[in-house]
Amino acid sequence: MAANFWTSSHYKQLLDQEEVNVVKPLDKEKGLTLEDFKLIKTHMANYIWKLAQHIKVRQRVVATAITYMRRVYTRKCMSQYDPCLVAPTCLYLAAKAEESMLQARLLVFYIKKLYSDEKYRYEIKDILEMEMKILEALDYYLVVFHPYRSVSQLLQDAGLNDTSMTQLTWGLVNDTYRMDLILVHPPHLIALACIYIASVHRDKDITAWFEELRVDMNVVKNISMEILDFYEVHKMITEERFNAAVNKLGLRP
Amino acid sequence: MGDGNSNTANRTVSTNTKSNEKPEWLQHYNLIGKIGEGTYGLVFLAKTKSPANRGKSIAIKKFKQSKDGDGVSPTAIREIMLLREISHENVVRLVNVHINHTDMSLYLAFDYAEHDLYEIIRHHRDKLGHGINQYTVKSLLWQLLNGLNYLHSNWIIHRDLKPSNILVMGEGEEHGVVKIGDFGLARIYQAPLKPLSDNGVVVTIWYRAPELLLGAKHYTSAVDMWALGCIFAELLTLKPLFQGAEAKSTPNPFQLDQLDKIFKVLGHPTIEKWPTLASLPHWQQDSHHIQAHKYETTGIHNVVHLSPKSAQYDLLSKMLEYDPQKRITAAQALEHEYFRMEPLPGRNALVPSQPGEKAINYPTRPVDTNTDFEGTTSLQPPQPVPPGNAVSGGMGGPHGVANRSGPRSMPIGMRMQPPGMGAYLAPQAGIGGGMNSGNMTMPRGVAAQPHLRRKDPPMGAGYPPQQKSRR
Repeated sequence: MAANFWTSSHYKQLLDQEEVNVVKPLDKEKGLTLEDFKLIKTHMANYIWKLAQHIKVRQRVVATAITYMRRVYTRKCMSQYDPCLVAPTCLYLAAKAEESMLQARLLVFYIKKLYSDEKYRYEIKDILEMEMKILEALDYYLVVFHPYRSVSQLLQDAGLNDTSMTQLTWGLVNDTYRMDLILVHPPHLIALACIYIASVHRDKDITAWFEELRVDMNVVKNISMEILDFYEVHKMITEERFNAAVNKLGLRP
Repeated sequence: MGDGNSNTANRTVSTNTKSNEKPEWLQHYNLIGKIGEGTYGLVFLAKTKSPANRGKSIAIKKFKQSKDGDGVSPTAIREIMLLREISHENVVRLVNVHINHTDMSLYLAFDYAEHDLYEIIRHHRDKLGHGINQYTVKSLLWQLLNGLNYLHSNWIIHRDLKPSNILVMGEGEEHGVVKIGDFGLARIYQAPLKPLSDNGVVVTIWYRAPELLLGAKHYTSAVDMWALGCIFAELLTLKPLFQGAEAKSTPNPFQLDQLDKIFKVLGHPTIEKWPTLASLPHWQQDSHHIQAHKYETTGIHNVVHLSPKSAQYDLLSKMLEYDPQKRITAAQALEHEYFRMEPLPGRNALVPSQPGEKAINYPTRPVDTNTDFEGTTSLQPPQPVPPGNAVSGGMGGPHGVANRSGPRSMPIGMRMQPPGMGAYLAPQAGIGGGMNSGNMTMPRGVAAQPHLRRKDPPMGAGYPPQQKSRR
């Protein structure tokens, strides 16, 4: 259902991490490793953020777009669905789904303006064709739930809705889209993990508040660890490494 | 979705480069013909070929690629997005979505509903000359409220409820069951919703709530309840309750005539009864002097001919409450005493209300069998077929397409002008743009062309199983 997460297609489609971490056979043949696979997705998430910043698209649209992109790659291989086309198209489709129309023309304009590299270059026609393929790949499930709503509500409930906590938590939530967390965990648990990290970081003891919540704190702590692990390694995600990974796919002559 | 074909998408594209070839998914259906046309595309009647559901009628709505070069129509996206998440007996069921990559068109397949309230009301008004019986009215309204309550409790506002969007199932297991259709304008309202007019969307004004007419900036679920109140009255009188003439001069014109029609019946709204009225832009600006205009109140009971003491009247007036905050909700309306009084509402709204009473044979939808999925009309004239063997392939039964008469309506609620309405009421002309009136009516006794279906290959390997998502 549209407003109830537990009856939504989003909930029903949640995957285990092991299922998300599968490099498709065709990509494997081309030498793509799991590391490469994750790296490309993170890089594409960053790409979507960057485009959205310039086009001035709402955060929620970006989050939905990245979720679409990550869902596509649980089903489709990168050698047939070029990430550099899938990523902007997901932003285009997410804008429609989230009611903030984004013109294909404008999108193509900004891609050209921001990236001179050939591999990002795509025309309107390519975006429109890919839009349909993405709809199909998503099995037409378009409603996505995000941690943002929960964050505001939970912070308020914990009495921690000061600017500093809110901004830190919000930033952490944004960063979770650089990982596959949204495919694996219910959004409110991702929100709690971000609040947990933020509270430790800001020296706020909210153990008592957490204990009152009827959630599995182990899951929350595990998500938090994943996020912290990601911060450890994310500095190693460079343009060079991305290029090396994406070139393995041999997408464009 | 559903057809398990997503893995073969690429192959489908490559094998269908010639546009005259049938896309693979289409071979799961027998096309019967065109049953409607709207701004976004065409609607077809088809029958499934899969062994499990052989001969089941399906309405297929084809969305053309939008003309402005912006891909899949946002209307189609909204409709898919919502209907993929919801499931309720009184909401139309989206069976499948298909894409034809060759011409970039998108098809939504729905369970076919033989009737809709527009046609049912019209049949009573123009053909039978008597009203709809109380049991049917009550059952239709109850089911409509039941579906709406489901939508509203899931934070979905329909925003375009009108008789042609309210479908009623034909003969079969779900006979007489109401299905709310056309979710092209529906929204999840987690975030406040902008007025439709901001998106340049045109919807019929007759069922539009007064707060919207007065320029309210946001939609609430109460707008759907107003529309339902108008439909309730129309079921009782067979006439649209408030038939305002639409002003079209500017992109977002002030609908003075529609408000005038409402005020004449319900009286002038007052700040005392409706406190937020003062903050509504058109009331505040009062550029048309609506505040000063004096109305002789007819009273709704005089229009619908109900005793002001009756339960029916009580419910109707609560649905047509001016203040959206005081307007009855779908959940409250379902609890109204009207539904606890005899005759009690039932699942099949179209069965006779009294033992011994004859069931009304509502006309089936006219089908234009000369139009294929591309929307092109073949030049062959329809061939008359003797009654009895008109429908091939052992389908037959209640969904046969022979002997359709009368103008077509909107099968799954595409916005287009109902034919016949032009003569009946002038103001609505032009809603829906690209409609083709007139050429779809089939003469009585003319059946579907059998070759349309005979051409199809025999039932083969069967229908791929429904692809279910995990968990």
